[in-house]
Parts: sequence; C-alpha cells; structure tokens
Amino acid sequence: MTTEQPDLDTIVAPATPLGRGALAIVRIDGPRSAAILQTLGGVSPEIRHATHIHLQMRGEVLDDCVAVRYAAPHSFTGNDLVELTLHGSPLLVQRVIAAVVELGARIAQPGEFTERAVLNGKLDLVQAESIADLINSRTTLQAKLSLGNLDGVLSRRAMSIRDTLLHVISRLEAALDFSEEGYEFITREDARARIVDAIAETRAMGETYRRGRATTSGLKAVILGRPNAGKSTLLNRLVGSERAIVTAIPGTTRDIVSETIEIGGLPVTIADTAGLRSSGDVVEEIGVARAREAAGQADIVLYLVDASEGVSAEDEMALFPNAILIYTKIDRAPAPKGAFGISVTAELGIEQLLARLDALVRDEFAAPEGSLVNERQLRAVVECSEALQAALAAIEGGLDEQIIVVDLNRAASALALLTGAITTGDVFTEIFSKFCIGK
Amino acid sequence: MLDVIVIGGGHAGAEAARVCARGGARVALVTMLRDAIGRMSCNPAIGGLAKGNLVKEIDALGGLMGEATDQAGIQFKVLNRSKGPAVQGPRAQCDRDLYAAAVQQVLAAEPNITIVEGSVSALLIDGRTVRGVAFRDGTKLHARAVIVTTGTFLRALMHSGETQTAGGRFGEPAAETLSDSLRELGLDLGRLKTGTPPRVDRNSVDFSKLEEAPGDVVPRPFSILTDRLPLPQILCHLTYTGSFAHDLIRANIHRAPMYSGQIHATGPRYCPSIEDKVVRFADKERHQVFVEPEGLQHPWLYMNGISTSLPADVQDAVVQSLPGFEKAVIARYGYAVEYDFVNPRQLDPTLQVRGVEGLFLAGQINGTSGYEEAAAQGLLAGINALQQIRGGDPVVLRRDQAYAAVMIDDLVTQGTEEPYRMFTSRAEHRLLLGCDSVYERLSPIAAGLGLLDDKRRRRVDARVERMRQAREAAESEAVTPDRETLAWLDRAGISLNEKATIARLMQRAGFDVEHFMTAAAATFPELAKAFGQLGDEELDGVVSQLRYAGYIDRQQREAARSAEEEGMKIPAEMSYGLPGLSREMIEKLSSVRPISIGQASRIPGVTPAAISIVRMHVRRGNCVLSPAGSVTASPAVSS
Repeated sequence: MTTEQPDLDTIVAPATPLGRGALAIVRIDGPRSAAILQTLGGVSPEIRHATHIHLQMRGEVLDDCVAVRYAAPHSFTGNDLVELTLHGSPLLVQRVIAAVVELGARIAQPGEFTERAVLNGKLDLVQAESIADLINSRTTLQAKLSLGNLDGVLSRRAMSIRDTLLHVISRLEAALDFSEEGYEFITREDARARIVDAIAETRAMGETYRRGRATTSGLKAVILGRPNAGKSTLLNRLVGSERAIVTAIPGTTRDIVSETIEIGGLPVTIADTAGLRSSGDVVEEIGVARAREAAGQADIVLYLVDASEGVSAEDEMALFPNAILIYTKIDRAPAPKGAFGISVTAELGIEQLLARLDALVRDEFAAPEGSLVNERQLRAVVECSEALQAALAAIEGGLDEQIIVVDLNRAASALALLTGAITTGDVFTEIFSKFCIGK
Repeated sequence: MLDVIVIGGGHAGAEAARVCARGGARVALVTMLRDAIGRMSCNPAIGGLAKGNLVKEIDALGGLMGEATDQAGIQFKVLNRSKGPAVQGPRAQCDRDLYAAAVQQVLAAEPNITIVEGSVSALLIDGRTVRGVAFRDGTKLHARAVIVTTGTFLRALMHSGETQTAGGRFGEPAAETLSDSLRELGLDLGRLKTGTPPRVDRNSVDFSKLEEAPGDVVPRPFSILTDRLPLPQILCHLTYTGSFAHDLIRANIHRAPMYSGQIHATGPRYCPSIEDKVVRFADKERHQVFVEPEGLQHPWLYMNGISTSLPADVQDAVVQSLPGFEKAVIARYGYAVEYDFVNPRQLDPTLQVRGVEGLFLAGQINGTSGYEEAAAQGLLAGINALQQIRGGDPVVLRRDQAYAAVMIDDLVTQGTEEPYRMFTSRAEHRLLLGCDSVYERLSPIAAGLGLLDDKRRRRVDARVERMRQAREAAESEAVTPDRETLAWLDRAGISLNEKATIARLMQRAGFDVEHFMTAAAATFPELAKAFGQLGDEELDGVVSQLRYAGYIDRQQREAARSAEEEGMKIPAEMSYGLPGLSREMIEKLSSVRPISIGQASRIPGVTPAAISIVRMHVRRGNCVLSPAGSVTASPAVSS
C-alpha cells in the first residue's frame, strides 16, 4: 500500500548528529525514496529487511551501507521511507546526501520529518508537543507548554514571576474596569516595587542560562602548550581513562582534533588544535592571537608545560589568565614547589587532575535546578524582562494603567512559554476573590 | 411573507428588528406585551465602563441605543475621565419610561416593522432550516429567519425570600415552552441567575443625609446624531451600609434563596447580592449604595448596590438602616431570577445556531448580562440575518475592531459559566477600541452594508475628517527652539531643547492642549484652526491618539499579525478526525467548529500543537471541496 500523495516532495537529511561515530543514518522520505535507492544501490531490497548495499553514483563508489526500506504507512513518517546506515564520516554522509538530492530529493527543513509524522498520525500529540520546532516556529500564539515538561524548580521560579504579574495586572485592570468601586486597588509605588523585583528575578534567571546550556550542550575545553609538552598524550590518557566516551567529533573547518568525555557529569569536548600540535614555538608560529581565540571559545583551558623545560613558559602562561597550569612529565623532572604536575607514562597525578576537573565542572558549570536549558527559554525570559522594563518606564513616566498593562501583558505572554498564559479569567478570579466588586 | 421574526422586544430584539427593517427586510417583532418594548428590567442607566463603548459601537453601526439614551438621559457622566479614551466609559442615568418610549418611537418610525403581541410556544423547523414560529393559541407565522431575544424569560423563576413566582420580570409571565423547542434542536441549555435590588419611594427619603453624586458639567451625548440633550440633568446620591445591616443579613442568611439551597444557578461574580458581599467580605465595614432616580417624575429610587433576594422583612430593615432611609418605604422588593440560557458555543460567530439555517440567538439567552451586551448582539444578529436574506456575506467583526466582536468571539469560542459582562480587560487590543475611534473603525462597515442613512454618514465622515486633519497638522508642524518660539512655549509651560513636532510635544507628561493651542495660535494658524474645529470628545480623542501613538502602533501591528490567523479560514465542513489529534482535541474543536485558525487557537484547552496540525491540514489543502460545495478533510494516509 502506498501513499496517495503524488505531490509530496521526497526529502533527505541525516537522522543522526554529524560525527565521527562508527555509523551515521541518512533518512529519505517520500514517494521517490525507493526509486532513489534503486538507482544508488542497483537493487530494490525487500521491505523491512536490512540489506547490505554498495552505493554508487555514476560508477563512483560512495560507500557500502545497510539499507532498510519501509513502505507507507508503516514507517516513522507514515510515508515510503528509506534509511541508509553509512560509515560515520561527515564527508561521506555529505556525498551520499548530495547524490540523493541530485536524484530528485530535497534537503528536509528542520522539523519536517516530524511534521510529516504528525500529519500522518504517526506521532501522537504528546510526542508532538515535545518537539520544539513544531510548537515554536509555526505559531504566534502563546505557546503553552505543560508544566510537567519543565524542571520543577524552573517552573516555580517562573511561576513566582507570573504571580507577581498577575497580582499587578489584575489590580491595574481593576482600577480601569472597577474605578467606581471606591478602592485603591494598588499604589503606583507598590506596583513599581513589585515590577523592580520581577526584573531582578528575570535577570537572575537569564544568568542561569550559561550553566543550563552547559548541561545540555556540554562544555568545551582546550589544551594549549608548546610542542612536545604532552598535549596529545594527555588527551589520549583522558579519553582512555574515561568509561563513557560520549561521542567523538572531528572538526571540519580548522582541523581541530577533539574528543568528548564525561567530566563532572557533563559532556566536555577537549580540543587540541592542529597548529598547536605541530612543531615549533607556539608564540612564533601560530601566534598568540590564534591560541587566544581557541582559549576564548573554551570553557576550560589547560596549559601544559614540560617540567624539564621549566618555567620559562610562565611568560606565555600569563597570556591565558584563566588557564589551569599543569606541569607534565614529572617522572623526569619535578614540578616547581606548590605547582600541579602529572606524568602520563608514570601514571602520576592523573587521578588528581581528573578530580580537579570534576570539581571545576561541578562548581562552575553544572546547572543547579531551575536553570534555563535552551534558547527558547532564554528568549522567553529576556523578552519578559524587556517588557517589564518598559512597564517600569511607563510607571515612572507617569503613564496610566492601560499603558502599563500593555507592557505587563507582553511580559506575561513572553513568560507563558514557561508558566502558561495569564488569561482574562485568571485576572477576574484574582480581582473578585480579593475585592468586593459590584453594585 | 415575512423575512424576519424577532421574538422579544428588549434591547436585543429592538436593535435586531430595527436593523433588519432598515436593510429592507419585512420584520415582525413578537412581544408578550407591546408596552414593555424597550423596558429597562434592572438599573435605570445605559453605558458605563466597556458598556459605554458598546453603545458607541452600536451608534457607529447605525443602531438605536445611543439615540434612545440621549432622548431619555438625565445624568451623563464619562467614567475614567482622567484616563485614556480606550478605557473611558460614557454612562447615562435614564428616565426609565422615557427610554422605553424612545425605543418604541424609533421602531414605530420603521414602516417595515409589524409588532405582534403574543407568546411564542415553539419554533417551526423544517429539517435544518427555520421556517417561523407557532404561538400558544395555535396560530403560526412564517419567515425566512427567526431571531430569538427572550432575555431572562425562558422558564424564568423569581425568588424573593422563600417565595417563588414564575416570571421573567416583576408582573410578567415566563416563556415556558420555547426552551423545549430549543432542546429539540439538540441545543444544550443551562441555568443562570441574576438579581435586582429594592426600589424605594423617593418621598420617604431624607436626601439631606446623602452624599451628592453629580454628573458631568458638560454632558456628552452618545449618538453622533444628537445635537442637544432634551432633558434636564439631575443629581444622584450615595449612601452606605453599616454594621447593623451586615449583622442583620448574617442573622437571616438562612432565609436567602442563594444560601438556603433554593437557587442552584450561577450568578455573576461582578454583581453580587448584598448577602454575598457581607458573607464573602466579612471584614469590609461598609458597602456603597448608589441611589438612582428611576426618572424625572418617577416616584421610585433604584438602590444600586444592594441587589438581594432576602425576604421582605429583612429588606425593610436593611434599607431602613441606611442613613437617610430611616423612614424609607420599599415600593418594590428586590428579587433574584433564574432562567434558561443556551450554551453559546453552539452558535457561529454570526450568532446563528450552528446547523440550523436562519435561526439566530441574541442577548441574555446567550448567557450575557446587561442591556448594552444584549443590544450589540441584537444588532449583529440582525445584520447577519439580513445578510443571509439578501444573499450577502456574513459580517464577523474582528477582536481588534470592536468590543462587540470580543464579546461574541468570547461567547461562541469559550462559552460562559456566569452571566457574561463586557469589561475592557477582555480586549487584548484595548488601545484600539476607544470611543474616540469608533466611527473610523465601524461606520465604513455599516455604510458598506447600506445601513447608515445620509445624515449619519455625513456626520461620521465630517468627524473622521476633522480628527484626521488635526492629527496630520500636529504631526507635520514642528517647533524649533529659537528665541521667539521659546518665549511663547514658555507661556504654555513647555520647555524645548531641540526641534520637535507638535505631536511629539503632546507625548510629554502634563501637556495641556488648550493652553498650548492658545499660545500657538499666532505661529500655527492652520494647526489652531484644525484643532479649533474639533468637538470636545474629538479633541480628547486626537490628543490621546497622538499621545499614545507608539503603543497604538504596536497594538496595530499585533492586531495585523492576529488578523492573519483570523484570515486563515477553516472550511465549514472540516472533519477533525485528523491524524495526530487526540480525542480530547477533536472533541474541543468539533464542539466549537471555529471558522478560522485564530478562533481555533482561542478555544480553551486546545494546545498550540493541535493548532499546528489543523493549520498544516488547512495550508496543505487537505480539505477538498466536494462538488456540492461542502468540504471534507481527506486523510493523508489510508491504512
């Protein structure tokens, strides 16, 4: 049974993150998917049978892969679909995708596989709701995410701002809609003070993003040092000592070699630039600027100095004030008194180094509960904060309630991503429960 | 044959009948009592916060409420005068008898309206189309559309203490069987409650002990047609309840129908009875009572603030405990009334019953409260009935165009749990909905439908043009800080550091336009002339439009964005059995059957993801037109 959707485009995209992992999956979805596989592989494998295929384009071998063909509606998206499991080289993946595109597919938009799955009823609503792009980009409505999806502490923090907003908005609204009732619902000074507090809280929440992001996206570390300071050795040792190698990604642009390991509960990608690896003097050959750039992008900088070469390197160290100075090869020469030293070959100081890194990550980067973990949350809080500041300016500029409320409502709808919206019903419930209204 | 039958001669019915007749339809207005047409069941006032905006909208659309109010108004006051026009609410105390007379006079002037006295017992329905009405005596009346505006009369039950009387208003019978007719159509009916306070004989009151509550020194008429208000303006008064009354009520609370369990229906939270106020806000030492005359000559005072259904002896004692009312005589006791209403989520945004062609409902039957809310619905139901008969497009206003649209959208999308009253805070684009801009927003729509007579149209055009010229003058003229300018600016109390438009100056806190125009007259004769032409209300409007321009612009941009969502129409026959929608979402969407993505997104509990799915299907055209013109969603995948 096939889909009756002749107009449907066939789309292609990698289904796994690009990386030097052992394998990479490329997904082709749509009515042409089987034909494309036939062209590339020369065979049309049986449905739902993993089949070993040599992919070729114009006689040139692309890769040998495992292909699985699915027929509508029994696939992830509900359409005809092909999954190619390739060797995990980004270059290879790119070449295969380019070939698929040449054969009539187009690159999928972000979220498009999900959209197709939803359209075909392959994902239920709960699953769909957790898919950010679907909720995020397509609607101007106040996105209401269920509180259960969010970290409890974050919700509570956001809810306390929402409570403030509801308190102030409902009283300002009451001053507009029930001005004949003989109440002073809220003083300007009280409203102002509450808004100021809320601004401080939004700022504090915004500042949690650095840690929150680290938790989800991981940290970057870089190892600097002169040639033969033992950088690669240390990198290999760190990787080898770590049970959980999360993933290993080769850089594509600047030939940076990096490995991702788990430190302090977070994924930390440790990089060693090719330039730094090459022979020659760091300062003279690569230049301080480039080393600085690498350090500037990193959350953690390790600076290695060969203990036998001594502290002549300290001058260079001064260029990287946030770096952790580590003396290497201390089996051959001792580290200066009070300094931290290791020897990979003699297995000296490695455990201490790991413990030190572990503590560093936990203290400096691990997100406490209640941190913002993604960009959308950050944007919600930043927009909320900006709207609150506009409301503050409106109050201080002597504008009346209807104007202040415009900005506060804007703040509330930005925050709605985290808290759910403040509805007219919420406002009335607050007013009628706190004030005796009505003739 | 008739075109339209309107059942009920209240504020909704009068507007509906009038607008249909104006549009050329032959109309029968059916009422149980001819003299009760246009009667004010409750307080003798029209307008107020948000409600006043509705009256202005009615006026801009060619309705009658503003005109009638001007003819009967005896104390005009703009509420929230110190605030921007978006939240200013004009209000008028009215002479109750003169108001009804004014409404009756307006209707009598329409040759297309026939008034029929009688009680409708059933609707005549043929398949899914309304054909007319049947009366209790068995006679029938046929028409192409029927507008039901029966207010609080459906199976109405009045409560006063332990006494229960069938009836929708004191001395008037209930409509007992029409509810059954509505139920037979499969409509879900609910029960609501409202109340009214005692009326006191004015000759039994010592006014010297009351606070005076005056109206505006220069009263502002509601209607653009009104040049001068015909009636003398009077004072209202204010008094307060005290601890004696509160103790008395508490001691007798078991005799209040709301507390004895005699009434089950929900009353409005914003209009609590005095027993509710005393129980729920026990620590409040006093409650305001507005003492409002029911008319210039009328012998009664309306005791606004002590709505109650307590027994007569308690009402007597409570009223007599008020300062100035020691010897007061209650002419009519307060009572509560319970009545049937139709869950308005069963209506289209045109106020037509979904799935019954030609049957429209308007006013309190839809779960609202208030004359103005009823009238606005009556007018829009009437316009849509008229359009249907004329073969024209439905008229559905957007939420950024009118409070009336906010109300109707709220009703048909969210439904209501308590009698629905208009509040400015219900409107998310409030700054766009001020009385100042009402004729600009709405009159062109009514004019396009042929519903504005020449006189009204000329006045609207002139007003809109005057305001436009003044705005443009203020935006184009600029002052430069040279010595001469600084001198006269200083006289107007304004400092200046750099060149600025007059519009910019107006945005400064404390800017006094009259002061400024006097000082600026010599330098900017054009500007002074443009502003000099403005009426009092127009001047306020222009100044605040300029003052809040930044905020207004932003709301306009937001409104434009949401207008896109409103413009994305969902086909009428859309099937919500879409892949990816949960049973709950399907149920919610199917129960409202939104006309647009915008409306769908406002249905309570419908998630953004569900909206995304509906949007994807609408955008992809997964709803194919069948040859008959009906639309069904084609499943993307058959399995």
